[in-house]
Parts: sequence; structure tokens; C-alpha cells
Amino acid sequence: MPAPDDELVLDRLIHEPGRLAVLTLLSSVESADFVFLQRTTGLTRGNLSSHLSRLEAAGLVAIEKRFVHRRANTNVALTPRGREGIAHHWDQLERLRALAERATAGASGRKATRVGPAPSPRGA
Amino acid sequence: MDRASLESAAVEYSHLRGLLGVPLSLVFVLAAAGNTRWGPFGNTIVFLAALVSIGAGWLLVSRFYDRHYGRVTLSRRQQTRAVVATAAVVPIVFVGSLLARSEAGWSLDLPVNPIPAAFAVAMLIFHAVTVGLRTHHVVVLGALLGAGLLPVWDGGDPGNAGLVMCGAAVLLTGVLDHRLLVRGLGPARGLDLGDTGAGA
Repeated sequence: MPAPDDELVLDRLIHEPGRLAVLTLLSSVESADFVFLQRTTGLTRGNLSSHLSRLEAAGLVAIEKRFVHRRANTNVALTPRGREGIAHHWDQLERLRALAERATAGASGRKATRVGPAPSPRGA
Repeated sequence: MDRASLESAAVEYSHLRGLLGVPLSLVFVLAAAGNTRWGPFGNTIVFLAALVSIGAGWLLVSRFYDRHYGRVTLSRRQQTRAVVATAAVVPIVFVGSLLARSEAGWSLDLPVNPIPAAFAVAMLIFHAVTVGLRTHHVVVLGALLGAGLLPVWDGGDPGNAGLVMCGAAVLLTGVLDHRLLVRGLGPARGLDLGDTGAGA
């Protein structure tokens, strides 16, 4: 568990709902193809393609283009950095939720916490 | 979609591709037809040709899912879970069937139909371990278990009737699994699907 005085920072690249959905999905599998990602996230082709390009450029996913039964197939997998990034992001969101619950319950000792867009600690 | 739904989407997809149950159900019926030498299926060549056709049908259905719903490779942990579940249920079917009613000396020789009963228990365990039991699994496989355990099966060997019952249950659960999948991911032609130049 992170130290209580750890800065609470959400990576904007990961936090965008479409990309968060794609990364969360990929975190539970070895790999998935474009069609499966589109089906499960409900994103349009163009949107998904754009998100994948950004995630690949940030080194969070690896994209393999191949032919399966003479059809183009785009296979996507998380890189080790992407796996670490999405796990860290969900940890941060859980911490944020816990903080919000504590604040709602009127717990004392609330600290100033920076929440919001910030450059990724990994430079993604 | 929430986090839990996204994280379970792949494993649910891989286990709810229910139309694969159609060719699988035909294997049960074919086995019963072959055992009873019913019609042309008493001929070994016809039997094997039918088996190969069913295999080809299975590949076509598998390709249908790959094309319209996509391909996914489960994590090692999920794959191991499925392999362990399969390895655990196979002995249940064989040992359960032999124990309930068989020519073996240690058989209880009960007036039940052991194949559907053991198969139903095995499939309930398999679904519970891999994807989680759904209502239709409990209803269909529970009915199969109940029918197999009814003490009305004394007399001749009920094995072939049991195989046909298993085939019907596999067909029904498969169709309902597919319906569930379509409800979650949409109809086969429901999206503007296709590959793009992502990451180019």
C-alpha cells in the first residue's frame, strides 16, 4: 500500500475513459484483437484506432499486424510498462475513492492532495 | 462498463461462445447412433465422415466468432483454470458413471441413467469454476441431472438415451449462452466492425 503522503496523481493519458477501458480489458488477458476490443468497449473504429495509436506511442501497448485466414488482423497486448501503468492507475483511483469516502464520513486529518491531470511519472 | 465487467469480459466471451455447442451436441447424438448402429452410422466410414463433418462445422462456428466478435488469448492463470477444470470433470463423468451403474464389481448398480447425471454434475462444476453459473446452466443441467437420477432406468442399457439427453442439454445451454453473449456484445452484424491501421 502506498505511503499516506504519496502524491495522488492521475495519468491523463490512461485516465481517458476509452483508453482506460482498453487498458483495463488488456490487463486481464495475454492479448486481444481489434474486433474484440471494439466489441467490448463499444468504441467506433476510428476512435479505437486513434486510442491504440496513442497508447502504442506511449509504449503502453504492443500492436502486431498479421493476417489470419487471409484477413488483416490487429493484435494488441499490454507491454510490461502498460501493465504496471494500469495497475498503478487503478491503485490511485482506489485511494481517491477511499479518500472521498473518508471525507464524506467527516473523518478528521484530511490532507491537501493534488488530484487531476499531471504529467505521467513515467513520461508516458 | 465498470472495472469488474471489463476484466471478466474476455473469460466470459471465451466460455459463452455457445454456438460451438451445436456441433458438440451432434457428437453425442452421433455416438449414440454409432453405438446402436442406427441407419448408415453402423458403417465405420460413414461414422468417421460424419465426425469429420462435425469437426469442420465446429471450425466454421469458431471462425464466425473470431470474425464477428474477435480473438482473445486468455491470461495464463485463466488458461490454467480452464485446463484444471476440464481435467477435474473428465474423471467425474467416467468414475461417476461407472460407480452409479456399470458392469464393474464395485458399481452401486442403481436404477439410474449415470451418463447424463455425471455429465450434468461435471458441467455444473466446470461452468462454476470457469465463468460462473448462470440461471440457464442451473435449469438445463439441473433438469438433466434430475432426469438421469430418476429411478426409472432399470432394464436395458440406458447409455445411448443418456448420450442423446446430454446432446440436447449441450445444444440448449449453447444456444442460451450465445443469446447471453449477444445481449452483452451485440448482434453479429451490429457494429461497424473491421480492422484498421491502428498504430501505423
